[in-house]
Amino acid sequence: MSCEPSTDAPFVAVRDACKAYGTGPQTVHALDHVDLHVPRGRFVSVIGPSGCGKSTLLRLVAGLEQPDGGSVAICGRTAAEAGADKMIGFVPQVPALLPWLDVLGNVRILEKVNRAGTARRHRQSTTPRRGGLASDPVKLLTRLGLGDVLHRRPGQLSGGMQQRTAIARAFALEPDVLLMDEPFSALDEFTRESAQLQLLDVWQELRTTVVFVTHSIAEAVLLSDTVVVMAARPGRIAGVVDIELDRPRHHGQLDSAAMHEYEHVVREILGTAWNPREELQGESA
Amino acid sequence: MRGLLRFASPKFWLPTVLALLVAGLLWSWVARDNPYVLPTLSSVGQQFVDEPELYVSNAATTLQEALLGLAAGTAAAVLLAVAIGESALVRRGVTPLAVILNVTPVVAIAPALVVAFGFGMTPKVIVTGLITFFPVLMNTVTGLRSVDRHVLQVFRTVNASRLDVLVRLRFPSALPYLFSSLRVVFPLSLVGAIVAEFSAAGARSGLGTLITVASSNSQLDRVFAAIACLAVMGSFMLLLVTVVERRALSWHDSQNR
Repeated sequence: MSCEPSTDAPFVAVRDACKAYGTGPQTVHALDHVDLHVPRGRFVSVIGPSGCGKSTLLRLVAGLEQPDGGSVAICGRTAAEAGADKMIGFVPQVPALLPWLDVLGNVRILEKVNRAGTARRHRQSTTPRRGGLASDPVKLLTRLGLGDVLHRRPGQLSGGMQQRTAIARAFALEPDVLLMDEPFSALDEFTRESAQLQLLDVWQELRTTVVFVTHSIAEAVLLSDTVVVMAARPGRIAGVVDIELDRPRHHGQLDSAAMHEYEHVVREILGTAWNPREELQGESA
Repeated sequence: MRGLLRFASPKFWLPTVLALLVAGLLWSWVARDNPYVLPTLSSVGQQFVDEPELYVSNAATTLQEALLGLAAGTAAAVLLAVAIGESALVRRGVTPLAVILNVTPVVAIAPALVVAFGFGMTPKVIVTGLITFFPVLMNTVTGLRSVDRHVLQVFRTVNASRLDVLVRLRFPSALPYLFSSLRVVFPLSLVGAIVAEFSAAGARSGLGTLITVASSNSQLDRVFAAIACLAVMGSFMLLLVTVVERRALSWHDSQNR
């Protein structure tokens, strides 16, 4: 892509974004002057209580909604331009697979829509495509533990397998930025942990820029380079925590002291953001 | 192979056979003392033995009218459903017209159609088409709308065109709805053809004409022999839809047995 290869320039940049729903006294300020900067190749999680606007923020970046004020830029383009060139991979809260296609068909379906966008993207591309894992759906699915169910339909899969198929569908686009909206929130704890590790495994190889929305502190710390903590009413950014744990990350780290330390820091910020009275008590102590 | 074995199992055919047997016994019991209400089953059967070609040729005419009307009505309904789904203007303009068409009794307009199009096949095809049109239209409109909104969002993030969404999401999502309407209108198309024949005997008659003539001559056995033909045709039409549906919708919950 035509973007600067420098790693510090924000690849995804949300500047001063505002978004409100409703009118009059019922107005909900989902986002109130929010800034988000994600450098290329970074895994950034956005965490916060429900109603803090984290999903709204993600939907702005995905181009699914327009900000009332401020701007969204992905590699210097608007979200709509980025979408037209198929630069965005999106994983919604539910798998959202097509029940009449098998796993492989579901992963390949986005290849078949907006072909003009694919062609344009390949022409403009200055860096070679990542190739390997993401360009071969079978390899990608095998890596995500779905090699044995390539020709099963979603109805025959467990919830965890369906969600991993949805993640494979997004990675298969070889997106410049991957947006995930609480993809593991509907899974039970064991399934969630293994899905997280498989995501880490694939990400480690592809190093796609990720914005990951979650409400799990442990999940945010385990996966991310940076955790952005948001607060509600109005939706705003309460703090940013850089997670300097070694990569590749592995399951053993889940219980390490360093990990707990980061979880504690995030929880502290969340606590002050959650309730203004707690913030006052914290100051007086 | 498993499919064929299923037919051989008594569990499969016994309920049907028993129900038909009970109905037959009740019929015979009524028919024995009331020959002018119901003919005996044997006299109905005798009709087929005496004049098989009469029933075959009339049934062929009716079936042809029904299938042509069905094809025209279904095709028109699906096309209009797509137009309604893609354009709110078309939806607001066309829906009231479709409802008016649906509540108009076909029996009332059939004679006018005969005046307009003559005694040939055309008015019968039109009547059948009108009868099958509305159920298919309504079901298909609902089906085209029944796409999961999260899937739509994923498609929007890659800037999928309306055609992509229509062909890759809306059509497959509408299939279960389309099939459930076809289950209704396939047998219903026979009723359409018969009603049309009631109001205008054609050059080639058909089962409806046969029924009108026979009942005015009090030939009850002939009337019921014609009805038996309709029953057989209707059953086969339903069977056809079911078989195709099972293939096309193997992914859908409705096919979980």
